[in-house]
Amino acid sequence: MATGDKLIEVRDLKKYYNRGAIKALDGISVDINRGDVAVVIGPSGSGKSTFLRSLNLMEEPTGGSIVFDGVDITKKKVPDGSGKLVRLDIDRHRQKMGMVFQHFNLFPHMTILQNMTLAPVQVRHMPQAQAEEKANQLLKRVGLGDRAGAYPIQLSGGQKQRIAIVRALMMEPEVMLFDEPTSALDPEMVGEVLDVMKELAHEGMTMVVVTHEMGFAREVGNRVLFMADGRLLEQNEPHALFDHPQHPRLKDFLSKVL
Amino acid sequence: MEHFIQAENFGKIAPYLTLFWQGTAVTVLMSLFTVVIGFLLALLLATMRLSRFCPLAFLGVDKEGRLRDGGVLLAVSRFNPLAFLATAYVEILRSTPVLVQVFIIYYGVFGALVTLPKFTVLGFIKFERFVPGIVALGMNSGAYLCEIIRSGIQSIDGGQTEASRSLGMTQMQTMRFIILPQAIKNILPAIANEFVVIIKESAITYTIGVQDIMSAVNAVRGATFIIIEPLLVATAIYFCLCFPTSKIIAYFERRMSRGDRR
Ligand SMILES: Nc1ncnc2c1ncn2[C@@H]1O[C@H](COP(=O)(O)OP(=O)(O)OP(=O)(O)O)[C@@H](O)[C@H]1O
Ligand SMILES: [Mg+2]
Repeated sequence: MATGDKLIEVRDLKKYYNRGAIKALDGISVDINRGDVAVVIGPSGSGKSTFLRSLNLMEEPTGGSIVFDGVDITKKKVPDGSGKLVRLDIDRHRQKMGMVFQHFNLFPHMTILQNMTLAPVQVRHMPQAQAEEKANQLLKRVGLGDRAGAYPIQLSGGQKQRIAIVRALMMEPEVMLFDEPTSALDPEMVGEVLDVMKELAHEGMTMVVVTHEMGFAREVGNRVLFMADGRLLEQNEPHALFDHPQHPRLKDFLSKVL
Repeated sequence: MEHFIQAENFGKIAPYLTLFWQGTAVTVLMSLFTVVIGFLLALLLATMRLSRFCPLAFLGVDKEGRLRDGGVLLAVSRFNPLAFLATAYVEILRSTPVLVQVFIIYYGVFGALVTLPKFTVLGFIKFERFVPGIVALGMNSGAYLCEIIRSGIQSIDGGQTEASRSLGMTQMQTMRFIILPQAIKNILPAIANEFVVIIKESAITYTIGVQDIMSAVNAVRGATFIIIEPLLVATAIYFCLCFPTSKIIAYFERRMSRGDRR
């Protein structure tokens, strides 16, 4: 389980819409190792969200494979310990992958504390009191210790996104997936969310982050993946990728965003 | 020249006032039973329509256990017989006149297939006519309420489901803890409105001899040959039932939407 072990192995991943007329993902192969902070960049419509959402099967891939923790989660049936084929329990795999969305998706009819304790109590059967204690600790860590009883509507965008991150952390995932976590925020709130993500990265959390924040990619990422037209065109460690881009599409993209 | 409304006619129909009170009681009771039957039926129908019951799902998966990329087999594998039946039911009931449905239930189902005992409840509710009435109206409003429930559930942002599923919660848990609590708030006013619609629509059951408000009008006309004034009395009663109900609903609707700003 040491840092550097392969955690997710993506091979020739394809996602087609309209019977192949739209190739949102057109053969992506990449390994995500434990402790990686992989930042995914690319123009709009290049398939970044589709890629991220395929990793926890929010989208069902058309082809290819995703081996997560040694199990190919794109198969309907997988071998169990004894080699017998059993139905893949996707809910169990999703527990190991936290996901943070552009629009937070907090549950509006629940308090912050309820938002955070629901899944651990219902899914993990954690005692309510223990879940609340854990939630309060996490809330303190992101500077929201006094908002446990508030409803999402009472919070700012930056606060909501910090809650969304710790809500996912409550399940103690092995990897965190972020889909443009700061794109819906007012500029003055972007920093507080990136700070939480940075801290998470320093603690060794494996992260796959789709973002337009090139500063974050450079500073926190250990790898940057450039996608265009559903393909992974270039990947490298951040400084090499930003300072010496090879692919013309990447050069073109960087000239527009930097 | 004859007047449209004659004051003395109200005096002539006064002895029949009890018929109107009894008719009002029947109309209200019938509407209540109808809403309950309709709602339970609608829950069942909506569950069927939103279910993921696909007995042929195995056809959509290839030998390697992966989902097919289009083709007839994929389409067939998505066939959901429960959803198909519920959808067919809803569309048929919504595309045919209530009067026809009431007649089919009364003369067809309860005339030929099921025989109800003939007796009277409270002295004025004819059981063997009341039951077909609420069954027919309940089956009809079940179709409409099904669509209300379904759209209420589907109006909840897809991000809610995604967030819930990404936390590892099952489809059932997501429904129970995330979707339904939010959907019910949107659905309740529409259900209450359906109640108002049913009060008015129930007038049609006088055609199968249910002694509701309209049947009181008919009875008075038969006895006195007066028609306009009893109709005006019926109009007033229906208005007094429906108008305050809609106002009360509107009041709670406003209060509930304010609740969102917690
Ligand atoms: N449900 C769908 N049906 C049809 N086409 C879709 C669907 N979802 C995504 N697509 C298409 O797939 C392609 C990739 O979309 P995706 O959302 O992954 O891009 P993205 O890189 O995340 O873009 P953005 O930066 O705008 O978020 C786009 O062309 C999009 O139109
Ligand atoms: Mg996107």
